[in-house]
Amino acid sequence: MSSEPLLRVENLKTQFFTEEGTVRAVDGISFEVREGEIVGLVGESGAGKSVASMSIMGLVESPGEIVGGEITYKGETLFGLEEGPDGELRERDDMLSSEEIRTRIRGNEIAVIFQDPMESLNPVFTVGGQLREFIELNRGLPEDEARAEAIDMLREVGIPDPEERYDEYPHQFSGGMRQRVLIAMALACEPSLIIADEPTTALDVTVEGQILDLVDDLQEKYGTSFIWVTHDLGVVAEICDRVNVMYLGEIVEKAPVDDLFYDTKHPYTNALLNSIPRPDRTVTELEAIEGVMPEAISPPSGCRFHPRCPDAREVCKRAHPDAKVVADADGEPHEAACVKHDAFDAGYDQSPPLEGTAVDTGSAAVEESESELTANPAGDDSGGETRE
Amino acid sequence: MKLLKYATYRLLQSIPVLIGISVITFLLANLGPGDPVSLMLQGQEQNEELVRAIEQRYGLNKPLHERYLTYMGGLLEGDLGQSIHYRRPVADLILERVGPTLLLVLSAYAFALVTAIPLGVVAADKRNEPSDHASRVAALIGVSTPSFWIGIVLILIFAVKLEWLPSSGLVYPWRPPSTYRSIDGHLELYYQSLRHLLLPMIALGTLQMATIMRVERTQMIESLQGEYVKLARAYGVPERTILRKHAFQVAQLPIVTIVGANLSTAIGGAVIVETVFNINGMGQLFVDAIQQNDYQLMMGVTMMLGVLFVLGVIVTDISYAYIDPRVTYGESE
Repeated sequence: MSSEPLLRVENLKTQFFTEEGTVRAVDGISFEVREGEIVGLVGESGAGKSVASMSIMGLVESPGEIVGGEITYKGETLFGLEEGPDGELRERDDMLSSEEIRTRIRGNEIAVIFQDPMESLNPVFTVGGQLREFIELNRGLPEDEARAEAIDMLREVGIPDPEERYDEYPHQFSGGMRQRVLIAMALACEPSLIIADEPTTALDVTVEGQILDLVDDLQEKYGTSFIWVTHDLGVVAEICDRVNVMYLGEIVEKAPVDDLFYDTKHPYTNALLNSIPRPDRTVTELEAIEGVMPEAISPPSGCRFHPRCPDAREVCKRAHPDAKVVADADGEPHEAACVKHDAFDAGYDQSPPLEGTAVDTGSAAVEESESELTANPAGDDSGGETRE
Repeated sequence: MKLLKYATYRLLQSIPVLIGISVITFLLANLGPGDPVSLMLQGQEQNEELVRAIEQRYGLNKPLHERYLTYMGGLLEGDLGQSIHYRRPVADLILERVGPTLLLVLSAYAFALVTAIPLGVVAADKRNEPSDHASRVAALIGVSTPSFWIGIVLILIFAVKLEWLPSSGLVYPWRPPSTYRSIDGHLELYYQSLRHLLLPMIALGTLQMATIMRVERTQMIESLQGEYVKLARAYGVPERTILRKHAFQVAQLPIVTIVGANLSTAIGGAVIVETVFNINGMGQLFVDAIQQNDYQLMMGVTMMLGVLFVLGVIVTDISYAYIDPRVTYGESE
């Protein structure tokens, strides 16, 4: 454990101001990335993973805005607010300007690999030209050296005949090859941190496997840190060192990867794990998580997961838990945001179980976020499948 | 060479189109009202012998399909027949007139592209800001105002009222008019040519400009939301470079299509603008042909405009393949 993490995100809040209301896409998350590790950011679609990673880059698009928290990278403040003399929040003086973030951070310190390799490359420029442009820009190399570097990098990520392929256009590359190009771009700028935003989601499984192996090898070779954004726990198990599980803009569980899988502390993580096939467990049927994730525009009261949580009790509707250390994983804290753990002392054990939760109502799943109290009348036979 | 092969292929493809044009014009010209013989004998006493002699000479007594074949035979040898009104070979007349029309259409397009593309980019960049709204209103006016009206207003303001620019005629940069003293040199010739060209160019180009500007804006907005723009931003590329290079390049592809597709509007518009500005181009020739019921000339001009249009479309397609690497030169699957 090094003393100062490479990246520290503290209580980050990013909101989107839409006509329907304020969407709290990221609502007070904290995590850190240390040198040379791969940190997972896991959750369903809409959990706020991508918004969180774009917030770090300072690339949240309008109408989104970072409204609170602090982002520190290598001791420099990428984002930070302070209270001004008039009591209003204002940006801190030591915060890097957007121009500084663009020239000093983006690309050369923190690079990204996007989800969609088919759309991320510009269709009218050659693959090599795009790679070269980013290298020139971020490493200040002259054109011919940048070109040589680009070709080396294409070779490094396993593109055959890189000299010839340098002058080809993106449409002449397959999806997997394009993702390799995007990885080459990220590595070629020699950043200390790479944010990989679902980089294998659009690829088929065999290609995904190859890409993960490639990243593993290259990560070892270059020692680059990664934030790996994904909804796929299988990918997490394969490459992450530590994992943050996100639900509706919050981190609900945070643990080293083995502990997350073998000593799961949050019902949501548990539900996620039960919904995917696992080689170490034999089940007759996979358990999907009931219902859909509510909108971040009007999150449920109390614990945001309670309407879908099989363990939910009355107290969960009221108490909104912030993540606390609930176990020790070989010196690493294992945090979870669930009041059923003793660390919270919220009276979970005395609290009566919720009636009409998602477990029993099946078809009412969609409205359940409002139906927390006015639960379905008992005996409603609409969704009568029992699960045990 | 791929390009040459593709061009040849497209030219061959256009032959049926041109044959189609020739059949339709031939029928319209020959079946329409009006009798060419009486036109030729205008002011002369008509007697049947003379009429028959003329019919004999021009083959007008033969059945329609034979006359068509004769006409097409001549066409292949570059003979477009005789103009009844001008009493000169149609081919000569067209060769004289095609230059001004091409000059007018091309410069109108140049004007439209040079103004519309930067304006469209600015409108996209300043989306929903005052300059964007202003450009939208301007485009709406541009699209809905007929070119002859624009032409007349331009003449009233810049030629009549301000007396800055000439109101009629063209000076061709490739051929000094006889009234010119050649000692003034090329520079003076080009200057005069530009002065004459300015108003008709704007009159004809405004519609194209408005259309292209709107398409440019839409395309730029779409392109600016592309994943590749996000990627460029994430790698620290300056916004200015993104606007001018990354987003811009992709957005230009549909512009080429618009230019090609609007070619017929532009050529049609040239006919009107030539009339307003009294330019001796194909348009005026066409109007004369119709007014004088000069069927040979009518057919000749229509064929020529058809050829110009087909060539324009081919050039568009070739340049499309040139700027978009995803489009290949018609390689069959």
